Amino acid sequence: MFQYIIKRFGQAVPLLIGVSIIGFAMMHLAPGGPLAVYTLNPTITAQDIERIKHVFGLDQPIHIQYLKWAYGMFTGNWGNTFFGGRPVLDVILERVPATFLLMGSGMSLAIIIGMLIGILGAVKRYSIFDYLATTGAMVALSFPTFWFGLMTIFIFALKLGWLPSGGMYTLGGEEDLLDLLTHLILPTVVLALVLVAQWSRYTRSSFLEVIHQDYIRTAKSKGLSRGRILLRHAFPNAVSPLIALAGVQLPWLFSGALVTETIFGWPGMGRLFVDALTMKEYPVLMGMVMITAIAVILGNLLADVINALIDPRIRLE
Amino acid sequence: MHHKGITRRDFIKTTGIVAAGTVITGGAVGLTPGTAWAKKNNVIVGMTQEPVNFNPLLYVNSGTEEVPEACMFDALWDINDKGQFIPNLAVRVPTLENGGISADGKLWKIELKQGVKWHDGAPFTAKDVEFTYKTIVNPNVAIRSRSGFDLISEFKIIDDQNVEIHLSKPFVPFAWAWQKMHIVPEHLLAKVPDINTAPYNTNPTGTGPYQLVKRVAGSHMVYKKNAEYHRGAPAIETVIHKFVPDQTVLYTQFKTGEVDVLGLHGVPPERYEEARHLAGRNALDTPAPWVEFIYFNCGKPQFTEKVVRQALYYAVDKEKWIKDIYYGGPPRTLSYLHPTHWAYNNNLKDPGYDPGRAAEMLEAAGWKKGSDGIREKNGVKLMFSMSTTAGSKAREQAQAMIQANWKEIGVAMEIKNMPASVVWGEYTTKSQFDTLMVGWEPTVGMDPDYTARCHSKQIPAKYGTGSNYVQYENPDLDKLLEEGVLISDMEKRKAVYHKIQAILHEDVPFAPIFAYFFMYGKKSDLAGYKINPYVTDITWNIQEWSWT
Repeated sequence: MFQYIIKRFGQAVPLLIGVSIIGFAMMHLAPGGPLAVYTLNPTITAQDIERIKHVFGLDQPIHIQYLKWAYGMFTGNWGNTFFGGRPVLDVILERVPATFLLMGSGMSLAIIIGMLIGILGAVKRYSIFDYLATTGAMVALSFPTFWFGLMTIFIFALKLGWLPSGGMYTLGGEEDLLDLLTHLILPTVVLALVLVAQWSRYTRSSFLEVIHQDYIRTAKSKGLSRGRILLRHAFPNAVSPLIALAGVQLPWLFSGALVTETIFGWPGMGRLFVDALTMKEYPVLMGMVMITAIAVILGNLLADVINALIDPRIRLE
Repeated sequence: MHHKGITRRDFIKTTGIVAAGTVITGGAVGLTPGTAWAKKNNVIVGMTQEPVNFNPLLYVNSGTEEVPEACMFDALWDINDKGQFIPNLAVRVPTLENGGISADGKLWKIELKQGVKWHDGAPFTAKDVEFTYKTIVNPNVAIRSRSGFDLISEFKIIDDQNVEIHLSKPFVPFAWAWQKMHIVPEHLLAKVPDINTAPYNTNPTGTGPYQLVKRVAGSHMVYKKNAEYHRGAPAIETVIHKFVPDQTVLYTQFKTGEVDVLGLHGVPPERYEEARHLAGRNALDTPAPWVEFIYFNCGKPQFTEKVVRQALYYAVDKEKWIKDIYYGGPPRTLSYLHPTHWAYNNNLKDPGYDPGRAAEMLEAAGWKKGSDGIREKNGVKLMFSMSTTAGSKAREQAQAMIQANWKEIGVAMEIKNMPASVVWGEYTTKSQFDTLMVGWEPTVGMDPDYTARCHSKQIPAKYGTGSNYVQYENPDLDKLLEEGVLISDMEKRKAVYHKIQAILHEDVPFAPIFAYFFMYGKKSDLAGYKINPYVTDITWNIQEWSWT
């Protein structure tokens, strides 16, 4: 197993290099660039722009810029932002707690509710509940997040006035836990909606596959209680594709939710990404691409390892 | 029946009295403002964008990054809502009349206020002004603009309170250069190896009315008042600058009262009507510096004749453009200035929408319709393209409308939009375009000077300098433009710029359509807030704000 993990890390290196080259090239090939904000300002002359380009190091050939960046990355220097001149790592890390909180609560809520709905749907297949859940999941999956987000704000913040419409705290007030929780409700629900749909569908099909196996019939014929069959016999076997799903979704804990964070003014990574993209902050964008890529690799690896640990049928070579 | 204790009647009576008392006191309490309400000592300014660089010399995004600038820093002088310079760190604004500017216009004497202190207690002196100037002209610093400062030939410190600036040529709008650039502290920055990446840029020390105490990236910034402020301590204790990226959500927060001042990007256009009637709120129609133009490239054979440009201007339905595409928000303007500008020429006559007259004018000038229905003269067809940034929906709608307008009078216009970096690159600067749709501001702050845009020696395609992209040449106008920058008296300048606008209105090298505006908002009980058409910063006088 240890060897397997080492091997996977070895495979990750060329993957990360590939991702970084593609990311870097795409960013620089896209029209515009960080200095486009200056081109519309008549008081900024072409010479001014050339000068700023030089200060940012953008006047060098792309491959030189890439190598400089890659070397810095390798030695722990992620560069400075163009606008603000702050270390990129600081800019990214200060957003992690907020994103972690929102994504963590959204995903936990989604996993719990999603799995409950999925299991119920599998056990009572073709019941009214199952049809409702299936339709509900389809509807939820097809909701545009921004619309759903705006509707919740319209109803719960503007019309009913029960919940704040955005941000993490009431500004100028006591920034306590209760205040944070009330601000967390709407974005968490909006975020969880789509995830619940996904999780319920996965759980349902995974359980359906398992509960029609022979050993479940055996357990039934032994006269075991329904709950015991589900928890003790079906669950461990049905859960492994779900762990893989969790592994795939794990990177979201770091990358954040673009739309939800933007609508609710949540100061997380999704917001940072949107802002950096608008400003063409190459160093920040590259930093986030790398962090996400690393999280994807780790998430998948973690899922594989956990599956191997809980399922004796799986061997990691 | 006799009860020793409380009778039922007693009980009802007592309860009644208590209840009535509660209702009355409750009502009284309800009518008088609650303690939390009366004690409101913060103001929350909401914007869709977030400042990332708080160094007033290095920021990029005007509008949002001007808030930290206004809160924490001071310029030598400010510009007020009437377009007059008012002294800030300087004792007075130099003019020819007060002797601050020498008779030849080349020497500027600036006296600095005494007793001004940086937030860390260090005294503000002439050294700081010199350091600010040196930083601006330092080629290794990513300053957004050196406009105006390139005229300085010599900078001399006389003593702690006095500096002398020599200019290479007389230029009255030079005052704008110092209004835009706020003073940074020499004692904190002189030894920093690279000012572009200095930690100072996100944790600055200034002389301004507020000090930054907290920043939550992506959420908000908190400022506390500077009790020692040299223009008097501000009335409001705390300023909170809040960032809500979605314009609709920000507007919703303005309605729910979660933000007190609705700044950039203001009310969404489709909500203008609603916003004007919100209880307890003021909608603030705020002029922005840009004017929307159609640019005619006078170097192209289609546009060399004045009558063609005039006819095309007549044939565009300007009112419909503003009403249908911009929800009737932005005001119509007939010059390169906002109609509220002090130098705006109010005597100009709107040509209106008159396709009949346009067709007659072209016909009379010899532009006759060919077999394809397109007018031509001496082998030149009235066929051309119009370009702007691709993907701007409002502009694309306007282009489609203009295309139809012009087709009516036998003119064929093709829409040819490109990405910003392409269309505003050499395609514009080397005058390769036929026509452009642009939104541009005056070139020296909000000064009425327009030399760079229409002086004949400012054609970059010919002389490599300036921004007269339309390649317009008029010796009379050149003379007036040169005269205008030598006068410091406002009334006398006005006369010159009225003439300049009249000439441009007659010749139409660029056709002004409307002046940009934002509808911002504030709670009605916030006093001291002033709409200032000469700055893009809504917090320019934040030290004067208070709650009534």
